[in-house]
Amino acid sequence: MLDTINMDMKQTRQGKVSGSWRAMIVGVAGLLIAAPVYAKIIDVPVAKDAPVYVKEVPVYSKTDTDQMKAMESKLEAMQDELTQLTSGMASRSNSANGLPLHGFMDVGFANNSRASTDPRGFFVGALSFYLAPHFGDKVKALVEPNFEVTPTGAVATDLERLQIGYTFNDNATAWAGRFHTPYGYWNTAFHHGAQIQTSVLRPRFLDFEDKGGILPAHMVGLWGEGKFKAGDSRLTYDVFAGNGPQIAGGVLDINQAGDNNHQAMVGFNLGYEFSGSLDGLRLAVHALRGDVDDDAVLPNKTQLNIVGGSAVYLSDTWEVMGEYYRFNDKDQSGGTGTHKSWADYLQIGRSFNNLTPYVRVERTVLDQQDNYFNMQDSGQSYARQALGLRYNLNQKAALKFELLNSSFKADSTGATPRTALGYRSLFVQYAIGF
Amino acid sequence: MKAIIFRACCVGILFLSALVAANAAGSVVVISNSGIAVSPDEIRDIFLGEKQFAGGAKLVVIDNAALQGDFLSQVMHMDTAKYNGIWTKKSFRDGLTPPVVKSGNAEVIEYIKRTPGAIGYVSTVPAGVKVIQ
Repeated sequence: MLDTINMDMKQTRQGKVSGSWRAMIVGVAGLLIAAPVYAKIIDVPVAKDAPVYVKEVPVYSKTDTDQMKAMESKLEAMQDELTQLTSGMASRSNSANGLPLHGFMDVGFANNSRASTDPRGFFVGALSFYLAPHFGDKVKALVEPNFEVTPTGAVATDLERLQIGYTFNDNATAWAGRFHTPYGYWNTAFHHGAQIQTSVLRPRFLDFEDKGGILPAHMVGLWGEGKFKAGDSRLTYDVFAGNGPQIAGGVLDINQAGDNNHQAMVGFNLGYEFSGSLDGLRLAVHALRGDVDDDAVLPNKTQLNIVGGSAVYLSDTWEVMGEYYRFNDKDQSGGTGTHKSWADYLQIGRSFNNLTPYVRVERTVLDQQDNYFNMQDSGQSYARQALGLRYNLNQKAALKFELLNSSFKADSTGATPRTALGYRSLFVQYAIGF
Repeated sequence: MKAIIFRACCVGILFLSALVAANAAGSVVVISNSGIAVSPDEIRDIFLGEKQFAGGAKLVVIDNAALQGDFLSQVMHMDTAKYNGIWTKKSFRDGLTPPVVKSGNAEVIEYIKRTPGAIGYVSTVPAGVKVIQ
């Protein structure tokens, strides 16, 4: 074969075309002629839709001007569609989207050196919802139903907050209903939202009535609040009046169904929010006064008088909070006079990105001759130190570890003697907000 | 001569880089419905819920999802986490409604034009609204 090719090439160079080369040339020419014919043959029967595609090509490729005009018309059509779409989305009212439901929940683990004091092991914390519907520009409401597991394992349900408000302007809002009594800072800053407070537990004396608190954390009545600008700083105020609590079964009862002694509890909280180099600092003073009855065999009536202050500094890295309460309670039924007591706490936290170590010291010195404290199960003087670490998994979830050292003071001056008690506790809490 | 040309090139590149960076950050224009009057000094208070009314009219605050990062860094001087945290607390404590979130310029402009008291931010100045900053 090679010999044949070589011979053919030789013959070609000599100007003669061999039979093989002639055959190849004829074959290629045949293909060139046959291809379009074949293409036409297979084009027709394959698809009748095909000509539509074929027809469009010349439209766009006629001239550049035609092509641009076609594209412009397409863009205009798309723009019209987009305008209609955005207009439709924008015209949807917020109320049409329903009322947002938010809330907080937590679970945890606890251990302590004295089993009889608090349960050990895993525990379910609380599930707290909150809804904030608005009715027009000035009427609004705030509802906070809360579900929590008690130490006995029962599920307790409470309407922690149920308040309806009217906003007059930027300086004044009036609320009616059940709300968190606006003394100090903590009680109206964190409510039942475990996820938004740095620590696992609240300071014990500021805890809720059924969890060891010694103050009326909730109130049913009227509350006015607002802010006034003072340069770049702000003056804040809260004034409130409502049903005075009673002590029943060793626990403060806020009398939400009606005041048992028809004596209102009244109070105020005045604050100043700094600006400039002191931005984040808030100083405030508060006072509260009301008559409190108890369920002793011979019921006592105590005039509760509290004055105090709070200092809070919040920045991107620091959280410093302190509150002080001075009690000057007057025995109105037994004639034992006026009894002085006090309670305070200081908590300092420092954030390192998502990690926040914190420390807290709290202390109460409560006169046991004061029926207001002696009749409350949790009215014993104590000191507690807390050391904790909070880790934010993201903006909505936090993992917290807290070590507590608690010591309760012996006191036999009151009708109910108190025995000394000391223990250490560990709490782990996994809290989310949604 | 080569050194001078090299330096000139370096300066040119730096200048272009700065221009590109500035452009990438994006400009933020705060706009409102033409029926309300608020000053640039009040923008921060408005977007943090401290100021809810302007001349008796209830303000409706709009967040532009496509531009929120630029707005928070340039105007509010805070990040998204802090902004969201503040609004979570505001809503929980005071019962305030967080800003309405719209997806982009077109939606924000459309909403502001037809909603009395609405205030938001966009990246281009549109017609038919009031420019605050």
